Amino acid sequence: MTVAVASMHPSTAHFDWKRPAIGTPGQAVPRPGTRGRSIVWLGDLACEEYALVGGKAANLCRLAAEYPVPPGFCLTSIAFDRAGGLGVFEGEEPSAASLPRDLYEQLTHAYRTLGERCGVDAPSVAVRSSALDEDGAGASFAGQHETYLNVVGAQAVAEAVARCWASVRSSRALQYRRQHGFALDGFRIAVLIQQLVHADVSSVMFSANPVTGNRDEVMINASWGLGESIVGGTVTPDTYVVRKADMATVSRRIAEKRRMTVMATDGTCEVEVPRFLRMQPTLGQEQLMEMAQLGVALERRMGHPVDVECAYHAGKLFLLQCRPITTLTWSR
Amino acid sequence: MSNMAVAQDTKAVRIIAPPQFPAAWEDAEDERLTWLHDRMHNPDPVLPLENAFWSRVYEAFNRATEAYDMPVRLKTRCINTYFYMAAKTIVPPERMEAQKARADERMDAAMARLRSLWADEWLPEIRAHLAWWDAFDLTGAAAPELLAHLEETLERLVRLWDLHFRIVLPSYIAMSQLDDLYRDLFDGDGAFGSYRLLQGFDNKTLEANRALWDLSRRALASEEVRRVLERQPAGDVLAELGKTPAGRSFQADLDAYLGEYGLRGEKWGLRYPCWIEEPAAAIKNLKDYIMRSGPNPNSEMAKLAEERDGAVAAVRGRLQDYPGPVVERFEFLLKAAQEGVVLSEDHGFWIDFGATYRVRRVLLEFGRRLCEAGAIAQYSDVFYLTLDEVRALAAAPHGGDHRALVELRRREVDHFQAITPPPALGADNGLPPEDPMSRFFGKFFGAPPAAADAPDVLKGNPGSPGTARGPAKVVRSLSDAAKLQRGDVLVAETTAPSWTPLFATAAAIVTDAGGVLSHCAVVAREYGIPAVVGMGRATMTIRDGQIVEVDGDAGFVRICPA
Repeated sequence: MTVAVASMHPSTAHFDWKRPAIGTPGQAVPRPGTRGRSIVWLGDLACEEYALVGGKAANLCRLAAEYPVPPGFCLTSIAFDRAGGLGVFEGEEPSAASLPRDLYEQLTHAYRTLGERCGVDAPSVAVRSSALDEDGAGASFAGQHETYLNVVGAQAVAEAVARCWASVRSSRALQYRRQHGFALDGFRIAVLIQQLVHADVSSVMFSANPVTGNRDEVMINASWGLGESIVGGTVTPDTYVVRKADMATVSRRIAEKRRMTVMATDGTCEVEVPRFLRMQPTLGQEQLMEMAQLGVALERRMGHPVDVECAYHAGKLFLLQCRPITTLTWSR
Repeated sequence: MSNMAVAQDTKAVRIIAPPQFPAAWEDAEDERLTWLHDRMHNPDPVLPLENAFWSRVYEAFNRATEAYDMPVRLKTRCINTYFYMAAKTIVPPERMEAQKARADERMDAAMARLRSLWADEWLPEIRAHLAWWDAFDLTGAAAPELLAHLEETLERLVRLWDLHFRIVLPSYIAMSQLDDLYRDLFDGDGAFGSYRLLQGFDNKTLEANRALWDLSRRALASEEVRRVLERQPAGDVLAELGKTPAGRSFQADLDAYLGEYGLRGEKWGLRYPCWIEEPAAAIKNLKDYIMRSGPNPNSEMAKLAEERDGAVAAVRGRLQDYPGPVVERFEFLLKAAQEGVVLSEDHGFWIDFGATYRVRRVLLEFGRRLCEAGAIAQYSDVFYLTLDEVRALAAAPHGGDHRALVELRRREVDHFQAITPPPALGADNGLPPEDPMSRFFGKFFGAPPAAADAPDVLKGNPGSPGTARGPAKVVRSLSDAAKLQRGDVLVAETTAPSWTPLFATAAAIVTDAGGVLSHCAVVAREYGIPAVVGMGRATMTIRDGQIVEVDGDAGFVRICPA
């Protein structure tokens, strides 16, 4: 299926991104009281701070108290500044060793704590960039910064953090900024480190139908394994459309799902879906309802249509991402 | 035999029958089907009474596919004395998907409880049928009683073959589906990746062979017995043993062994004597075994089981972070296939041979009486009669001299025995459809051998891993097996369980018929010796004494220059 994306330019957004409760996108100065914190946890009040953790993490943090968001923490913009800001690792290969000593120790400690929360010694985590003007009113920044999946061990996490930081200067990211009219200087980045859900099924959900523009419907794309194959467009996912009013399934198209992303040593890889599973529906009726209800609730909570990434693991639904729908065409 | 293709009418291309093997068709449908010779089970011509037997067997196959909602049925025909079968679908294409989904569901339900179905339901019933035959006094029965016994024999036989296919379909399909899944997940793991997960389980074939080895240890305990076995040809051993007390004592041990495991004959069918009737095949193995010391070569089980458990653990490690449905399906199929691999041999012990030889015994009793009445020349000529002829003659033993008729039929069988039947007749319907059932047929009967790229190389299907080199011995029947010596490569059309004690003697196995799930391949893997199966013309191409290299992983045999 194809989601009709009109243009990536911010001006095409048809509804306003309501400002988050604390801070604003792009706000440069952290609130008093949060100053100086290099690490904040999802669920902490400080983690809702835009200027500390960026839009992606702040959104998730606000939802962490109410929804099944996997545990995690952020290396804030302050940590980024301490490591050198935009000049970080200038002229050198980003590595764990180039992190300031105290930052490295704080990171190691936080990773251990995360392990305790997950009930394992060395949890597998996702390390994602969260730009400070990301997920703001216009562009999604989706895919513009580095993400590392299935990172295991403090050393490897530190390495991934260093690479995320360095990625803000990548020519791809700068090009995107130029195209979308974002500042090319003075911006910062936070890094979100979160338990990686070993997804049986991943899905991307729109709380408004992005194909027809119908706001009374939730559209769900779902496929096997981690979400990367859906997001990256390498698989044709199942498509479900659910009517919000009565949670009735309006349409259900089971696709032949040929590729899936699975965990591999030190990361993930995309593999063929075994033949027996390709034509099997990814979501049962109950799961479909549960997911659609989550979409409706998130839309209400956020006050605007949302684009949600979630996953099932062992029958339990996890919320991985929640963003405003920034680019929709309502014409089809 | 290959391509158990479900006929797809649209692209049927007529197969021209060779002039020495004319084929006429009863109707247009038959002409469009692909008729395949099951060389794995029936390499030889089928006698009239055997035809009645096999027809009932495949009716049972069709009842089993019906019970499992499978959309396929087999038609069978005896063509020029050879037994052919053709698969056909029974639902129109537009209903096929739904039908296959129902079949998958039924099959999964059987696979889920294979072991308990076998242990709690099927095996107790099978044993009750066998006990019924054993309790009947064949020689003492009056003619009407014996006739009534025949009719009930046929009814019970049908019931047993109903059970047979109820058992084998989920057993083999579990193994085949596990292999399908394994290949999907770990492409590039060689031909045997999934089969390593199934090795090292005991079954009745291995049990019988281990007991034969144990018997050979008892022979070694007596100098006299050992000498007889060493020096006498297999056919003379019994007479020699009868001459001494130690010999007679060993004979009693041998009889006890045969009483337990002796209902195995050299191929599938009614006319092949079993080991109880002709113990020479068992004695040939004893002669080989007494030359050897050390652990029981029929039992690699502990080592294989350890390898298996390691392989299973490795797969579980690789699948650890895969989506739950993949892991669940793998575990489901692994359990079913591990139970299925045992049943793939055990069902044969109880039904293919255990029941068949009890039926043979009943028919031979008719043979004895008809022979004494002068209707036929020898007991075993009864197999050249039709079932109705046997019934009629048994009701009035002096009703007719059938000796000339038997001779006529024997000549016809002998004539065709000398002709290699074409592997396929009717119409070529192209490649089999891509579905789990067709894949299972392909793995059981074997894919057609590919053309070799070198003149000294013959290709077949990988049957059992490893490589070996040795002098070839082409063995057409077990009575021919005396020439097989330790380190030789056994070349045969097909092997039944009675051949498998020779796997301890042979360095490798090469067959004309069969695939990776054939009995031969399954048992060769338990012996840890290389096998290439389904080579098509190995017995016609390879000559005794030629040095051959067998590559079981790649599935080819190289004939080395003399």
